[in-house]
Amino acid sequence: MSPTDTVSSFLRAVGARDVESALRTVDPNVRVNFYGLGVSGTGVATLRPVLADTARAFPDLLLTVRRLMGLGSSVIAELTIEGTQADTYAGAINQEKHLDLNEAWRFEVDDGRIKAIDAYWCQQQLYRRLGVKRFDQIAIV
Amino acid sequence: MSITETAPLTAADYAAVVDEFFARYRAQDVRGMAELCTVNADFSYPPFEMWGKQRVLRGDGKVGTVGRAIWTGLIQAFPDLTNVVHRIEANDDGDAAVQVDIAGTQQSAWGAVQPAGKHFSEPHLFLFHLNEEGLITSLTAYWNNAGISQQLGHLEVD
Repeated sequence: MSPTDTVSSFLRAVGARDVESALRTVDPNVRVNFYGLGVSGTGVATLRPVLADTARAFPDLLLTVRRLMGLGSSVIAELTIEGTQADTYAGAINQEKHLDLNEAWRFEVDDGRIKAIDAYWCQQQLYRRLGVKRFDQIAIV
Repeated sequence: MSITETAPLTAADYAAVVDEFFARYRAQDVRGMAELCTVNADFSYPPFEMWGKQRVLRGDGKVGTVGRAIWTGLIQAFPDLTNVVHRIEANDDGDAAVQVDIAGTQQSAWGAVQPAGKHFSEPHLFLFHLNEEGLITSLTAYWNNAGISQQLGHLEVD
């Protein structure tokens, strides 16, 4: 399985909100950076809540892969995430707003397992879509 | 008559071009940055949105128009604008990705963010495609504006 195939499997599972299947493509000691969320660390225990929160908050989640770029053992995926908020997400209360957000995720893959994820998106755009007005009052409408 | 064939560019060649792009960005040489791109190179900054009452300005278009204007505006607002390249990856097809921190100290307004003399440094991911002549044909960048706004002391989402 090529690195691109591994990443495609991971993203298909994320798009299907199947967190456990997504995690089966990931090394137990995966290194993650989700810059927009301020989440960084190692291990599945760091990654699982990020994926689970997204799956829970957006039950109609639609993940579209716009481009996959293979760079040896690294893969870049340009994604669009869409969905309607149905629960608290990233501190923002649910106002049933629609989210559409372009993102880029960089993966390192070795021996068929994802070893590292660096995810880039604009949290300001995300909060704007969800109706948040201030960074220091995320939960206030 | 003889035909001279040149060896196709490799991943290392493409990586060298994007490395030079960020060197010129550090030197604030906007013209030099654009000279590494084709005349009609595509430009996309998906996080770049400026919301007005009547319309939204987005960072999509061409390097020669939208890109140069944004880079010039950034350098005006952040006169010490610089970057630290952490990783360059490329392939033989002309694709390249760069993980880089962009940093600067605000001296004049940038969008809705009024200057308070504060400094920001934010991770960015730049994606490039280059042609067989080693010129950039498309440039896309992703980053978190919320991180920059908060570092600059701007707490309004809009």
